[in-house]
Amino acid sequence: MRLREIINLTTAADRVLLFFLIIATSFSFSFVRHVFPKGTEVEVKVDGRIAYRLPIDVDRIVSVKGPLGVTHIEIKNNKVRAIDAPCENKLCVRQGWIDRGSIICVPNRVIVSVTGGNSKKDGLDAITE
Amino acid sequence: MLNKIRRSIRFVFIIPTLIFFLTATSCSRQGDKIYKDTRILMATAVSITVVSPTEQKAKEAIDAGFNEIKRIDDLLNLFSDKSDISLINSNAGLRPVKVSKDTIEVIEDAIEISRLTGGAFDPTVGPVKVLWNFDSKVIPPGAEIKKALPLVGYKNIEVKKDSNEVFLKKKGMMIDLGAIAKGFAADKAVQVIKAMGIKAGIVAASGDIRAFGLRPDGKLWHIGIRNPRGGRKDALATLYLSNGAISTSGDYEQFFILNGRRYCHIFDPKTGYSPTDTISASVIAPDGYKTDSLATGLFVLGHKKGIRLLEKLGLDGMIIGSDHKIYLTKTLRGKIEIKGDNQFNNGG
Amino acid sequence: MPSPNSPLTGPLPLSKEKLRNIIALLSAYALCLYGLETLIPSPIPWLRLGLANIITLITISLYGFRAAMMVTLIRIFVGSIFRGTFLGPAFILSLGGGVFSTIVMGITWRFLGCFGPVGISLIGSYAHNLAQLFLAYILFIRRIEAVALIAPIILLLGTVTGTFNGMVCGILLRDLKSLGSSISFQGKAP
Repeated sequence: MRLREIINLTTAADRVLLFFLIIATSFSFSFVRHVFPKGTEVEVKVDGRIAYRLPIDVDRIVSVKGPLGVTHIEIKNNKVRAIDAPCENKLCVRQGWIDRGSIICVPNRVIVSVTGGNSKKDGLDAITE
Repeated sequence: MLNKIRRSIRFVFIIPTLIFFLTATSCSRQGDKIYKDTRILMATAVSITVVSPTEQKAKEAIDAGFNEIKRIDDLLNLFSDKSDISLINSNAGLRPVKVSKDTIEVIEDAIEISRLTGGAFDPTVGPVKVLWNFDSKVIPPGAEIKKALPLVGYKNIEVKKDSNEVFLKKKGMMIDLGAIAKGFAADKAVQVIKAMGIKAGIVAASGDIRAFGLRPDGKLWHIGIRNPRGGRKDALATLYLSNGAISTSGDYEQFFILNGRRYCHIFDPKTGYSPTDTISASVIAPDGYKTDSLATGLFVLGHKKGIRLLEKLGLDGMIIGSDHKIYLTKTLRGKIEIKGDNQFNNGG
Repeated sequence: MPSPNSPLTGPLPLSKEKLRNIIALLSAYALCLYGLETLIPSPIPWLRLGLANIITLITISLYGFRAAMMVTLIRIFVGSIFRGTFLGPAFILSLGGGVFSTIVMGITWRFLGCFGPVGISLIGSYAHNLAQLFLAYILFIRRIEAVALIAPIILLLGTVTGTFNGMVCGILLRDLKSLGSSISFQGKAP
């Protein structure tokens, strides 16, 4: 019973902790899925203004001009990413593909967010104005 | 040692598998999803939301909805020479004009609402409207408004249903369906979308929202009413809607302030000036054409007559008076949730 | 102090000279693992498996907290110089995560005897990830929404790697123990 030996290496506290973490992990996944459902639209904002609002299911590359220069954004396979940016740390590029939430480039003031569907913050489906 | 490693690897693999199963079962998804698209139509942002099991179907339905709105707009657009409405207007006082069935329908609807509101909503307010220019912020001379007022009057629209003809009896009269067309178009778009097998969705032509069916999670659609003194996405009140429409008319869409008085784009057909005792009026009814036009009519009527009229018609609504008080129909109380942090008080 | 059934042992009595050699050797091991894991792609650029944590944990249990902190610092400084990220954002995240997790593991090992290597490793990997996430939030993200989005990935990664590292540690420590107290590392040290 070598498996038992491995298990014997763990203390009761270890096992309780592991069990608790597995539960927490699985809950966090469904929680995020619930709070941030996959979006249907990609919204590209530059300096607070909406530059583009594009469907996430149409593959294309767009470029927006911010204070530092041009940020290139790619939409592909229902995901979006920043390909290139003029900022120094390139965190937006490093963030990679997203299908919910947003990519934020603070230096170049570009915000790419996946919205639409029922992912609105206030949970409203429409507003009459 | 090798055996030991093998066994430990097996143990290590149990954990990801466990996690995978736990997450997979906890988010088992239903087939229906929400799809939404927004386009600029009828000089405003129109959004269509549909609930559909497949993206393909959703896309087709949304496209069909937009096409329908475009079609209606082409008929009713005041600013296109070829529209039915332009033809009617250019032949005012001259001859009846043959128009499409939809145009007849919407004009008849407009006349119905004009009657219900005692002329507070009037599709022929155009001759007064054109005197006002909101960019130059100049009040037209009173004499000009007086001269235009006799041209306003829905009773001078003649609809011949059997020959699909519309006639404006006085020369210089104008039909302007701006205060009913969006709601009407939303109704028509919903019909088309429903006919394509879509069970639920929303057509929202800026202020005019027509919803049907339920959200994929089985809940009612959650609709906000804009705070008339807040931002565009700033909801003052929220309510739930399944099959029905809601529209809001407010003094914030187009306006200018001169000598402390606010002049907005909604006019009282009887005086030729914009009413001053309403900030915004919202109406809930089964159809979009009704809510759209009634919201305008109620804006003109004010909260006292407006709420009374809605209660008589068995409809729901909310009016914010210029006294910064919120007036609700009795049946709406308890169904609407008004956000606490606003500058408006409960007016009963 | 660790409970008697825990495979963790207390610091071994060593001369300064020997301890220095051992720290150098362990740092080399840690750098190896660190180099290895940079080859493995990660969903979030600055989140890593933390294989070097194995060495940190072993150092804590065999040679004490101070030696472990030394190994961690050497690994992070030398590693970042090798990778060319020295004093850059990735270095700050790495330093914050490494130091914080070493401290937390040290405290757990010293005062919470109920945990074995797996438990301590789990706690350490979570401490590592949380410190990195906190620093990333302060330095770049500044959006709680983005943090909430990657939280599950961090939890999952922390759980899996923490368990794996802990078990590797457990096996290593047990076998080292059965080989006799301290020969293994000392014997091979230059």
